[in-house]
Amino acid sequence: MIAGSDEEEVAATLRAVLVDVLGLSETRVAAFDESTPLFGALPEFDSMAVAGLLTELEERLGIVIEDHEVDADMMETFGALLTFARNKSLQ
Amino acid sequence: MSEGGLAFETFPGKAGPEWMMRIGAAGAPPILFIPPLFEEMNRTRALLVAIMRLLAERGHGCWLPDLSGTGESLRALGDVRWNDWRHDVTSASAYVAERSGKPLVAALRGGVLLDDAADATGHWRFAPADGAALTRDMVRAGLAGVEWAGYAPSDELKADLAAAKPEAVTALRLVRLTTDAQPADAKVPGPALWRRSEPGTSDALAEALAADIGEWSRACAGS
Repeated sequence: MIAGSDEEEVAATLRAVLVDVLGLSETRVAAFDESTPLFGALPEFDSMAVAGLLTELEERLGIVIEDHEVDADMMETFGALLTFARNKSLQ
Repeated sequence: MSEGGLAFETFPGKAGPEWMMRIGAAGAPPILFIPPLFEEMNRTRALLVAIMRLLAERGHGCWLPDLSGTGESLRALGDVRWNDWRHDVTSASAYVAERSGKPLVAALRGGVLLDDAADATGHWRFAPADGAALTRDMVRAGLAGVEWAGYAPSDELKADLAAAKPEAVTALRLVRLTTDAQPADAKVPGPALWRRSEPGTSDALAEALAADIGEWSRACAGS
């Protein structure tokens, strides 16, 4: 159960970072599901947004993301990014 | 009421005149703004101008220089060195001092890496970033395929930026966002607009920062 609530916390943090970095509405981001396409699909998600997203995730989740872990696949959908964030912060 | 309004003046840059925007009267108690660097400069421009307008309404003269190779500058960014930017800040502060008296210097994000070059009554810093963190963001922007987010600074400038840290200054007031865990003299709620891919502003954040700058300016002028 504890693991479940931690997973929810990571999801909430990720949604908050997407709101802050991409400037999207909370309502819109709340409706994101695992299959929602992100990188390459949202005009707001440009190269500088990638940098901001990674830095904010590191600060808010207390993780370190290595450059070699970053590619287009891990940012392709909300589900892929959530899986990455959960693996980094709950491992 | 809005005496002075909006004006553009030039100050002596390292390799020729550079532009400076002024909002408010030239003779009013001056505040010199040092903007964030690279893409963060664009993303915070609307916020900066909103803060300047609010302070102008309260009787300040607000000055915002275009650093060499940015904004309306005629120089190519690739020809600019870090020390040119430091020279610009020194020169801009001297120009403002001549026009309206020694200014308070308000620096945001990477601007804090240059603000010690100004001759000022005091310093105000918001959400400071060191050069290593800014460099990391620009390198990370390259992971998505666009190196340095399309900017082409010289290798010398990149190296100096990477090593740059905020210098100790006197009469310093440090302000951060409430979401920033690091210590500060004051924390204000609001969005990290320098992270936003679409430039935006926040009326509440601009008001909170303008009020804080105004108070600190009066405190420094009175001391």
